[in-house]
Amino acid sequence: MENTLKVERAILSLTQDDLAKKIGVSRQTINSIEANRYVPSTVLSLKLSNVFNKPVNNFFKLTKDD
Amino acid sequence: MKTEKFIECERNKFQKLINIRLPHRFMLVGITIALLSIVMMFVRAFAMVGDTLWLKLLLQKTVLIGMLILSLSKDKIEDEMTISLRAQSYAIAFVIGVLYALIMPYVEFGVSNAVHSGGESFKDLGDFQVLLFMLIIQLMFYHNLKRYR
Repeated sequence: MENTLKVERAILSLTQDDLAKKIGVSRQTINSIEANRYVPSTVLSLKLSNVFNKPVNNFFKLTKDD
Repeated sequence: MKTEKFIECERNKFQKLINIRLPHRFMLVGITIALLSIVMMFVRAFAMVGDTLWLKLLLQKTVLIGMLILSLSKDKIEDEMTISLRAQSYAIAFVIGVLYALIMPYVEFGVSNAVHSGGESFKDLGDFQVLLFMLIIQLMFYHNLKRYR
């Protein structure tokens, strides 16, 4: 799975730390998600969706490997 | 209906059991207990005379308790990723611990007999050695998984 979290974050001018605080996780978790090292749960994805005010499909995409 | 309620109750209790964690402040308590026990082990070994076998056994237990508290303590920021990493570290520690318990007695026996002819007789590992090894592996892997996440 790939994502455009970094872009969405930049649109809202949020740092990794800001976003982490908004959804109640650590900054390292946001960093891991952005680097595609960690796939977040549905709950976390929906929290991100709330922050970005966009559907989850807009910033998470399935790849050929999935 | 009653059966469904019973199953639901069992499921809730099971969920509570698998989610057992201590608050973050217990991390310091665990470190303190483990370190004090290790210091006392050295004191017992080098500075105490007489029959102190009971103290050795007691200190082995307190080291394990301290490390278990450390292992069960939450991080400052506990999120789903740290929970997942902790689960991975327990799985790795379990597998390596079983391998250690199976292989290590033969290694000890082999090395002992290679160094001295007619060395130690074959014996299994004690519970303290296996549990300490598993806890050390779990804490090390958890720390490393967090570092490289």
